[in-house]
Amino acid sequence: MPFDRRLILCVNWPLLGLAFALFGVGVLNLYSASGFRMGDEVSLMPFYNKQLIWGLAGLCCMLVSVLFDYKRLAAAAWPLMCVTLVLLALVLVAGKTVSGSKRWLDLGAFNFQPSELAKIAMLILAAKLLSKRSEMLGWLELFQIMAVGLVPALLIIVEPDLGSGLSVLLLLFGLILYRGIAASVLKVIAVLAPALVPCGWFFLRPYQKQRILTLLDPEKDPLGSGYHIIQSRIAIGSGQMWGKGFLEGTQSQLRYLPEKHTDFAIAVFAEEWGFVGSIVLLALFCLFLYQIYVTAKKSKDRFGSFLAAGVFFYFFWQILINMGMVLGIMPVVGIPLPFISYGGSATIVNFALVGIVVNVSMRRFMFKKN
Amino acid sequence: MRFESETQHAPRTGLILLQALILGLFCLFTLRFWYLQVHKGEYFAKQALDNQMRQMLIHSARGRVWDRNGVPVAVSEPSFALGLVREDCEDVDKTLDKVAEWTGADRQALTETFKRGKKRVKPFEPLILVTDLPFDALARIEANSVFWPGLRIVVRQKRHYPEGDLLAHVLGYVAEANEEELEANPALALGDSVGKQGLELTLEDRLRGEKGRKQVEVDALGRQHNEQVLLEPEAGSNIQLSIDLGLQRRCAELLEGQAGAIVVMQPDTGKVLALVSRPSFDNNLFVLGVPTDKWKEIRDNPMHPIQNRTTQGVYPPGSIFKLLMAAAGLAGGYITPETRALCTGSYKVGNRDFHCWKKGGHGNLDLEEALVHSCDVYFYKLGERMGIDKIHDFAESVGFGQPTGVDLPHEKGGLMPSKEWKKKRFGQPWSRGETINASIGQGHVLVSPLQVARFVSSLINGGKLLKPLLVDTDEPVVQGTLPLKDEYRELIAKAMVETTERGTARSIKRTDATMGGKTGTAQVVKLIDANNRRKTEDMPYKYRDHAWLASFGDKNGERYVVVCLVEHGGHGGTAGGPIVKAVYDYLYGEDPGVKTAHAPKAPQTAQDAGASPPAAPAGTAEPDIPEAGD
Repeated sequence: MPFDRRLILCVNWPLLGLAFALFGVGVLNLYSASGFRMGDEVSLMPFYNKQLIWGLAGLCCMLVSVLFDYKRLAAAAWPLMCVTLVLLALVLVAGKTVSGSKRWLDLGAFNFQPSELAKIAMLILAAKLLSKRSEMLGWLELFQIMAVGLVPALLIIVEPDLGSGLSVLLLLFGLILYRGIAASVLKVIAVLAPALVPCGWFFLRPYQKQRILTLLDPEKDPLGSGYHIIQSRIAIGSGQMWGKGFLEGTQSQLRYLPEKHTDFAIAVFAEEWGFVGSIVLLALFCLFLYQIYVTAKKSKDRFGSFLAAGVFFYFFWQILINMGMVLGIMPVVGIPLPFISYGGSATIVNFALVGIVVNVSMRRFMFKKN
Repeated sequence: MRFESETQHAPRTGLILLQALILGLFCLFTLRFWYLQVHKGEYFAKQALDNQMRQMLIHSARGRVWDRNGVPVAVSEPSFALGLVREDCEDVDKTLDKVAEWTGADRQALTETFKRGKKRVKPFEPLILVTDLPFDALARIEANSVFWPGLRIVVRQKRHYPEGDLLAHVLGYVAEANEEELEANPALALGDSVGKQGLELTLEDRLRGEKGRKQVEVDALGRQHNEQVLLEPEAGSNIQLSIDLGLQRRCAELLEGQAGAIVVMQPDTGKVLALVSRPSFDNNLFVLGVPTDKWKEIRDNPMHPIQNRTTQGVYPPGSIFKLLMAAAGLAGGYITPETRALCTGSYKVGNRDFHCWKKGGHGNLDLEEALVHSCDVYFYKLGERMGIDKIHDFAESVGFGQPTGVDLPHEKGGLMPSKEWKKKRFGQPWSRGETINASIGQGHVLVSPLQVARFVSSLINGGKLLKPLLVDTDEPVVQGTLPLKDEYRELIAKAMVETTERGTARSIKRTDATMGGKTGTAQVVKLIDANNRRKTEDMPYKYRDHAWLASFGDKNGERYVVVCLVEHGGHGGTAGGPIVKAVYDYLYGEDPGVKTAHAPKAPQTAQDAGASPPAAPAGTAEPDIPEAGD
């Protein structure tokens, strides 16, 4: 295939730049979050350099996901979902049990979490199914797509892994909204949904209820379930306007902040960089989302647009839920912040998904030709 | 770019939704960051600081105490205590159960200690449950500490008194601060020791020192980092006593088996070289809280070992008081050294006869002779002439009837009666007979051995009334002056010397030093009739007289005042003489001049002379036998 210069020209460079910027901030922040005060010295845990290696792996995956034409993904959507469902079923049968839930497949060298794959499979399949037609969703199509989404979601929820299961559903939900729901359907949902919320309460496990209650009143149990939220708020708040300075965060270095290199990584950042730094980081995320939006808007086919929108929601929900949790306005759910939280598979998936958006952006001219 | 104009394939509402979501995300979190970091930033900054910084106390070392030769008499030794850090303790009740099991401490008492401690000890500081852990308990706790988070072994200082009962009355003791002491002094923490008695109490401020403060960074696991001393602890001052341990020990030996007191003082400085009260108690027992049975034993001992007889024991001075009467008479102009009086053996006041201790009377004598022979009638007449209030006024002006101000707690001032006092105390008018009694140191008059030592010192140090000092480095404190002409003062001193030459205090006479003395025999019970007078040995212990001997010695300018009191010892010269002699032997060495003629002292055969109304039995007044009366 002869190389077309336009492939390069149309690459969404700002998106790439923003992704790298966020990853850079993430690694820098992990460097600080890796520090523990030991006596008068600070000892470093190896999170930041591991994260760099994961980043390199993610870069490779991104390159791979850029090379082929994204339209081929549509053909792979169903097979991918089938493989995913098999793996999810396998997890329930032969998964590795860690603290009461079966989420991982032991592949010898590393543990594989099929729920991660399920998000990608759901993203591609939903993009494929929803992009077929352009009118607002009616009842029939809504039920069809929901049925498709509920199978993997329920398989994940019974692991149990409510967070990942809901992520899959939220992803689907986002894409459904992106497509648009017919006004008649929307009215019914608007009435029914609030009624369903209390019912959902009864399906929650005690610890999940506890997390929600804790959010409402963290001081009730300051050393127990409220501890994360309280310490996180103290870390962020004590950063004040300008922050305590890089590597100077006391909440983080003295271990008051739990999960500081994973779910609560942004609290470390907010403590050390203050309000100003936090807003800069928030702005970077918003610009990053905006660039995905631009690609979704400019895409020359519906599948590409839905793919980009799917990636948009993939990131959006994580940002919303993670930051909401760390800032104490959402219950504690184990969802990482893209590029900022430490995590191997998450980093790889994040870069791969950025790659897909770049893929969509760089191949828009092809439709013009045909 | 030219592609921009192409047909929009993305759903319009969807694109608007995405934009709205981005905007919403930004606004929501910007507001939240603003609220947490700017609006409530200071509040959270303080919380972070509270998390991170803790101020802790650094204990200061209590000062040590030495005798005048540098022998340690109160030291602090490290001891191990068991503390509970509430913050790290998961189950207090179970932990206390375990502590009781390990240390044998009373479970109920532990709960009490814990409850009291909760109010004062910060949750991250060890609340001391058990002090002075024995080694086996220590080992057991160390071995199990992993399973009982919150239990900490703490090194604390424990006071130790190497000499125990020898200095118990001087040093007193420290013990764990009680609720009132903690309330009164915010620097004290639960489990701290404070002085409770003796010098440990009165010199508490000098001995205790100042606690330091340190600031540490504490992580969520309770580990401490970056310790920073904010305030260095200030160790308590070491104190050198004026007490000479060897002398103190010798004095204690001399009183062994008896109840009594000895004060040895430097007359020119007021420094006390020995302050002995017997029987005594082991003050080490009190440091960790005295066990109930031991406490009962000490408390119920009829000899009252707790009482410091040198400062808290007050007794009728008996004939020793004649020194003061002479001074008062001379100072007030009621007599001169030449004033003579006739002693016929008794003196009639109203319809009652007051006897001299010498049945036949002393005949006509002047003041010096009256002192040397301790003639009662001379002083009856002097007392009559002065009246009780003049006696009272003079006695008060030279320090009787009030504490000497020595650095020991609960000192008693004794009693100098007056008309006003009697009225107040008994609602009765003063009677003449009481003046007569008081004139020879009987009746209501009460003095402490230390007061006597101070007064005798003033007779030979130029009239200075000095504060008795127990700390060697303290400068002499002149509290007043004897209101008496030097020649009069010297006359009284000379009379004391004469008393050792040919009077009742002959037993302390030395060839190598100028000695002065005055004995006293203080009645415990009133014996109306001379015929009831029995030998000391024949009387029940508690009715026997108190024996006094007040003395001074001067060997080439090396001067001491020694006052000895033996409770129920009988005659002053008999009981006090050998003891005081032995004290001077220790101070000056054996008298080279009387090595062979060291024989038993004459007064031993002449013991029984009463101090007061009753007369001595016949046959005690042989010329070569010194008068037994004082």
